[in-house]
Amino acid sequence: MAIMGSFAFEEDFLTAAKKLKSSGFDKISLLSPLPLEEAQEILELGKSPVRHYSLAGAIIGAISGFAMATATALVFILPTGGRAIITVPPFLIITYEMTILFGVLFTLLGFHFVSGLPAWRDRPYLSSASSDRFVVVVEGAAADQVARAEAIIRDAGADEIQHVGEGQ
Amino acid sequence: MFDHGQPSYAEVNKDVLSVMLETGPKYWMLLGTTMSVAGICFFMPWIYQLFVGVGAAGMNRNAVWGSYLSNFIFWIGLSHSGTLLSAVLHITNSPWRKAIYRSAEAMTLFSLMTAAMFVMVHLGRVWFVHWSFPIPNQMGLWPNFRSPLMFDVMAITTYLTASSIFIYMGSVPDFAAVRDASTGLRRRLYTIFSFGWRGTAREWHTLGWAYTFFAIFVIPLAVSVHSIVSWDFALSIVPGLHHTIFAPYFVCGAIFSGTAGIVTVMYCLRKFLNFERYIGQVHLDSLGKLLITLSLIWSYINILELFSSWYGGTSFELEALQFKLTGFYAPLYWEMILFCAFVPLLILFKKIRWSWNKMLVISILINVGMLTERFIIVATSQPRKFLPDAFGFYFPSWIELSITVGAFAIFATLFLIFIKWVPAISIYEVKETLKPLRRDA
Repeated sequence: MAIMGSFAFEEDFLTAAKKLKSSGFDKISLLSPLPLEEAQEILELGKSPVRHYSLAGAIIGAISGFAMATATALVFILPTGGRAIITVPPFLIITYEMTILFGVLFTLLGFHFVSGLPAWRDRPYLSSASSDRFVVVVEGAAADQVARAEAIIRDAGADEIQHVGEGQ
Repeated sequence: MFDHGQPSYAEVNKDVLSVMLETGPKYWMLLGTTMSVAGICFFMPWIYQLFVGVGAAGMNRNAVWGSYLSNFIFWIGLSHSGTLLSAVLHITNSPWRKAIYRSAEAMTLFSLMTAAMFVMVHLGRVWFVHWSFPIPNQMGLWPNFRSPLMFDVMAITTYLTASSIFIYMGSVPDFAAVRDASTGLRRRLYTIFSFGWRGTAREWHTLGWAYTFFAIFVIPLAVSVHSIVSWDFALSIVPGLHHTIFAPYFVCGAIFSGTAGIVTVMYCLRKFLNFERYIGQVHLDSLGKLLITLSLIWSYINILELFSSWYGGTSFELEALQFKLTGFYAPLYWEMILFCAFVPLLILFKKIRWSWNKMLVISILINVGMLTERFIIVATSQPRKFLPDAFGFYFPSWIELSITVGAFAIFATLFLIFIKWVPAISIYEVKETLKPLRRDA
């Protein structure tokens, strides 16, 4: 059973989130039509692990960029005026571009892994959350906790409370 | 920030999504026109050229690079302000970015696609384009990564990929808004496009971090792309091209041209999509100030380029300089100086900077000047290398001129399709600039 409370005002929504958190409800989702730093602070999200993906991608890109330029030069040798076959300065440009390419691709992967998207299954959601409503969802509450969560949400100023099956 | 009063969150959704969800006959007529012009002016001459060979263009033995490459540089340049400006303003947390960046990024993407088309047209035998990628093949042929042209392939592929991801990721929350406002097939499509986005604090948090990293990657990438395009020319030893100043010159010119392009696109969005409420004087004023700054930097680099050619004192450089300033294409050179160095100074006057119509004219003139600049770079240097008995002359053929015009129609077509598939203004970022609704208000 999940409890879903919808708010018209951001301040009420944040008050409800804070109270729920301090009352020991851990499985809370805070849905909003725009990013809210306060909501992220309440959930203590901290630094995102996405940055590790970016770094890993950049390093892999740099190595593979230089390796690709070197490997192609070695398998298809083009002697030019007695210059070295593996020429570092121009290969660094390829390395630079591949660093960025892989950095971007891995950041994209990181975004998907960390945010859990794509997630096309039904989850507690109100379509007005993408327009002008702020929605608090409490999931996994024990039967004796449901009334308490509902009271907190109502007292904070929710204009609509729904009980939905989790995964709906 | 808002010229006509602050809208509510729901009004932002309604205003932006109505452009996507409601389509009148004028839109279809306009789309039909741009597609027809693209077909007649771009694709038909290109197909003709594919049959008869690149001789159909005005290029010859002394001038193997022609207007296709000047167009390529122009479109790459035009692509520069969108993603770059968006990324820089994101990192510096500038609120005026939020209403204009989506369309500016789209401009980047479509300019890059148009630029890539010119590479195909220039190639002649376009069916061999895959030879420039390191793909195992039966000939044992591999690209030479010591060549600036291969730097180009890597840079543009990376830029196109990064720009596409940058605009797509920024649009995911807005795709969810489209999903929630639509029904039927459109709803199903946007459910897929939005990845099942719900707008949870965790999703916003992850998107914020990822988006910042995209921005950090994109800024040096954008600078590298036009530097690399400049090296296509500067790494040769051709008089008039072999200048160390070329990389900053190209990057500055690209941002200048792209910013002017943004002003043109913003004018159209305001005028034809009724976004007056969201794109206001603050945007025009900020873009105007940016244009003046870029114009002054561009002028300074131009003076430096002339000075270094003159100060170098070699006969080849002096001859190239003289031809540029007083030769056949001198009127084009001075037109470029007028449009890019003097006309932007008018923006110093607040009366002009605050007028959308006047700024539209100035932005178009700047891009005419920038297109001319790219043409001059190609046409005045390469056909006149070193010995006078090897001098040639280049003048574009009607096929090249037609393809040049058709490219603008391709860009317009892509943009018209874009505004029906992607919210042209970032809904959630505009909401960030609004004061939150309070119970006591």
